Amino acid sequence: TILRQNTNLMHLVYGKTTSTATTSNNEAQDSSDDEESEDDAFFKPKGEGSKKLRDGLVDGNVNSNDCSKYINYAKDKNWKKEEVCKSIRDRFVTGDWSKAARGNE
Amino acid sequence: MEDNVRYKRLKGSSNLRLRLVLATLSGTPILVHDIRADETFPGLRPHEVSLLRLIEKVSDDCLVQINPTGTKFKYKPGIMMGGRCEHDCGLSRSIGYFLEPLILLALFAKKPLSIKLTGITNDSKDPSVDTFRSTTLPMLKRFGAPSEGLNLKIESRGVPPRGGGAIVLTMPIVKNLEAVNWIDEGMVKRIRGIAFSTKVSSQFENTMIHAARGIFNRLLPDVYIISDHKTAAQAGESPGYGISLVAETTSGCFISVDTAISYLRKEESSEIEDERQELTPPGDVGEQIASALLEEIDQGGVVDSTHQGLLFLLCALCPRDVSKIRVGKLSPYGMETLRHIADFLHVKFHIKPDPSTGTVILKCLGCGMKNLSRKLS
Repeated sequence: TILRQNTNLMHLVYGKTTSTATTSNNEAQDSSDDEESEDDAFFKPKGEGSKKLRDGLVDGNVNSNDCSKYINYAKDKNWKKEEVCKSIRDRFVTGDWSKAARGNE
Repeated sequence: MEDNVRYKRLKGSSNLRLRLVLATLSGTPILVHDIRADETFPGLRPHEVSLLRLIEKVSDDCLVQINPTGTKFKYKPGIMMGGRCEHDCGLSRSIGYFLEPLILLALFAKKPLSIKLTGITNDSKDPSVDTFRSTTLPMLKRFGAPSEGLNLKIESRGVPPRGGGAIVLTMPIVKNLEAVNWIDEGMVKRIRGIAFSTKVSSQFENTMIHAARGIFNRLLPDVYIISDHKTAAQAGESPGYGISLVAETTSGCFISVDTAISYLRKEESSEIEDERQELTPPGDVGEQIASALLEEIDQGGVVDSTHQGLLFLLCALCPRDVSKIRVGKLSPYGMETLRHIADFLHVKFHIKPDPSTGTVILKCLGCGMKNLSRKLS
């Protein structure tokens, strides 16, 4: 999702300044407040605001789960289908070697 | 105790393992505050306390001070000692959670480490012990860790909620790591795997293997998944089943995925206590995990998404030499790791997308880490 866009990955990871966890957290908090009206924010239970950000790039939750495992279950792709399999055929030794060699240049 | 130590202040419990590893290796005392301060059950979780105790066990002269509510702790790193020890990892996270920081610390210890860890060997949250054996440990060799003394033995398996697994990990020490130029991901030449079950019929493994093979059939003939049926004492305390797969490429990269299915831990199942949860049937598990492996292969990169964090850490801990690596899409944990590396070791990676293959190339200059606790002889 991130890669295909023409974003600067350096900025994405390190931020424009050398942002620590706390400062990026504040920025994220502010932007989420702007989106919803103030009344909405008032009736939200504590912590609700930061929960939304969990999927965002800047991890707003300072107590988020510490997990390195990342499994992409690929719900939208059916690898049983011939044409889907074809797309990665050349990543296997049974595929086209010249194509793979070019990819590594 | 005297308190003229300057602590680096950090907020919240996120990425605790990264912080502890980097604090230890860079010799930075840290003070973590506001740990789940606003939650119904505040403070450190059992696995986090257990991790702190583990670090205390394998190091000398370190200091861990936790406040009574557990919302704040101080950690002053000592010297990593290694040697022989045992540790009960508890049941709130699996052994994989502890192994990830431990292998890095052990490389820079005074003596080779030999440790017996008990608890949960396979679950769906952390990399399984099979993945460590097939993928993580070979990765360390790339960075110059000697293969003698690098071993992980599974004595028994344990799945949530009651665990009962045990492993023995032995780790060599290094003088320093070696920088890598690792951008050739190669082509997948074979797929290996292991399907296990504990306290259920061995038919579960066969079904998972059959389903997984069905997905690979069209792509590669060299697929071999062994079954590991555990009974009696070797099966731990709870019923469950799972599978881990690894794709090996022509350039010696390992791409792995794994999962395990079992009943949930108490805190996760919360309300409904007596109602039995629905478990994913083994056939679906096999298909899902095989698809997940193909998805990882499709992404490209020399490691899978799960190992990105470790890869970045290893690169950053190299001598003052340039490392160049290729990964698929940056994973969220990988990005967190990059931020923490910049924070503790002041190593910034140069990150450049490679649009022709859809991968990302990272370059960095190692922080010049040397094993200072190693005995000179």
